[in-house]
Amino acid sequence: MQLAVNIAVLGSIYALISCGYVLIYRVSRVLSLAHGELMMLGAYGLYATASLFSAHPLVALAAACALGLMVGVAVYFALMWRMTGESVLAAVLATIALGILLRGAMILVFGTQTRHPLDELGWENASHELWGGARISTVGLALLACTALVYLGLFAFLRATRWGIRMRAAGQHALLAAQRGIGLHGVYALAWGLATLTGGLAGMLLAADAGLEGTLYIVGLKAFPAALVGGLDSLLGALAGSLIIAGAEVLLIHYVDPLLADVVPFIVLLAMLIVRPWGLFGTREELDRV
Amino acid sequence: MKKLICTLAVAALPVGAPLGQDAYVLGVSAAMTGPVAGGYAPVVDAMRAYLEHLNGKGGINGKPVKLVVLDDQAQPSRAAANAKQLVNQDKVVMLLNTSLSSTYAPMVAEAKRTGVPLYYAGSVCPKDTFPPADPLQFCSTAFGATLDSQAALAFVKDRAQGPVRIGFAAMAIPVSRGEIDYAEGLSKTLGMTPVDKQITPPPTPDYTPFATKLKEGDPNWVWSWAPWVAQVRMFEALRRLGWEGRYITWAHLNAEQELERIRDGELYVIGTNAMLEDNLPVHAEIRAVAARANLQHPVSYLTEGFVAGMVIEQALKKTAWPPTPAKVQAAMSSLKVDLKGLRGAPLEWTLDNHFRTQQHYRVWRWDPKANRIVRAQDWKSIDVKP
Repeated sequence: MQLAVNIAVLGSIYALISCGYVLIYRVSRVLSLAHGELMMLGAYGLYATASLFSAHPLVALAAACALGLMVGVAVYFALMWRMTGESVLAAVLATIALGILLRGAMILVFGTQTRHPLDELGWENASHELWGGARISTVGLALLACTALVYLGLFAFLRATRWGIRMRAAGQHALLAAQRGIGLHGVYALAWGLATLTGGLAGMLLAADAGLEGTLYIVGLKAFPAALVGGLDSLLGALAGSLIIAGAEVLLIHYVDPLLADVVPFIVLLAMLIVRPWGLFGTREELDRV
Repeated sequence: MKKLICTLAVAALPVGAPLGQDAYVLGVSAAMTGPVAGGYAPVVDAMRAYLEHLNGKGGINGKPVKLVVLDDQAQPSRAAANAKQLVNQDKVVMLLNTSLSSTYAPMVAEAKRTGVPLYYAGSVCPKDTFPPADPLQFCSTAFGATLDSQAALAFVKDRAQGPVRIGFAAMAIPVSRGEIDYAEGLSKTLGMTPVDKQITPPPTPDYTPFATKLKEGDPNWVWSWAPWVAQVRMFEALRRLGWEGRYITWAHLNAEQELERIRDGELYVIGTNAMLEDNLPVHAEIRAVAARANLQHPVSYLTEGFVAGMVIEQALKKTAWPPTPAKVQAAMSSLKVDLKGLRGAPLEWTLDNHFRTQQHYRVWRWDPKANRIVRAQDWKSIDVKP
């Protein structure tokens, strides 16, 4: 039972991070390699707002989420919109440069010390007993709840709202969408904003669980195989890919060797690239060679 | 024409003229930024503050000490470039490394090529500093491979009231894995039963899967020797899974602050540096120097850097002016530094031992009743033998 809980929690972490990769790629066909850093920025955002509004943790949390959304939109307008019409490689390189810049800036602003946003908020990461003797932490529960809410919200948003339908249209055929009067820059900016918000949320929860330090962005890269395994342009795929990677990781740690934890996502990814390079739920025509 | 000649003459001047002909110039390659900076930057900042404090009092032998600090972000290629610049351009008489062990090889190569002594201050002491030591390499860093496990397991044996079922936790980096492998073997010779060993990759988003496996072995003690994040997150994951055993781990720079944050009576940290809780007269000095230098790190993080500063002070005092790398090396090869109680005994380097002749360990834990950090064991020494 504990193994199932562990898979669900780790899968939630990967799913929350990988949906950002998918949102940006699905809408604008840009692969954001700064997603890990944006995730870390979201966590530092929570630390900053928690320090500012320590007496009002919910306000701090809401402010950090709003900040994440705004940062994503700002990143699009400050940098990524200039990449429109440029080669895929140019856009990818721009995100790599952005990641390096953000990493340096965060160390300059927040220093090298480990931070604990949960302590700033005055909350405790308690342990809860589930059925079958399994246990889960408060942050683990929050991760499961947030992932469910984010995915349900995104599915509903993309299917039932005007902006969601515009995002899908832009993702399917940008030129036709533009000719139908859809403002592509607005749609792309929203995709960056939502991706940074969900990634930031993952960063906040990870920092709440284990503290916040300069290596957090690497976790963002660990979720990347989950997005690719599921299919880079499918939210459902991101969810499935995350559970597959988390399942393989947890089971191998338990039954084979903990050292495999680091390589198993990439083994699964390689296997998928050989068998089905567009991923479980990805679109076959959408592959680019970079 | 005159203007052109002047311009050419200026351009022909060596770019890397020594920073100060009238100072002891030392060069540091350190992980000041990058993922692991948290464990190294406080050491360098404290060392720099200590030396600036000395300069304010007239320097050493009437000469100031100039510390050139270059950031290597724990990358070997940057460390190689830094070492070359420090030796060839800044003409340093001592190289210092405060970074990951992966940066050692290029710095050792440069030190050997030029005969400049290399001092590890705050980074893991390599085997070359233990007897029989490499003539050019020296180390004052608190932790010492194999000795730490000997001390930790001796404490566990003393403390345990029944059979010891011990688990181990390491990070998937060579130095940590090597130490835990050694500890696993040692535990058997001490009559303990090793039950499981978990090695976590850096970084790991969730330690619970590793802790689940470790808990299944039902250990009553766990020993972890790794970067702090791996040590403490494994402990916290075990506790959230309902594990009630005792956990002993290495006292890194942030141990004192973390004991206070975690407040668990059965989390023990073992180390060789005194804690602020000991309230020694030298701690008042550290506080004053840190305040004057406006250091942003908590004062409890600064002991290691202060120790390095004291070692440098003593080594340079024994180096007659004008300093050369050979003179500094000779001074370092026979050195005794009074650390004013920051460690269990003075630090001593001899011709063939550039680590220390004795290593002294203390153990601390959080006392929930007293609501403060208390000593679980006072200084106990281990001889450092060839």
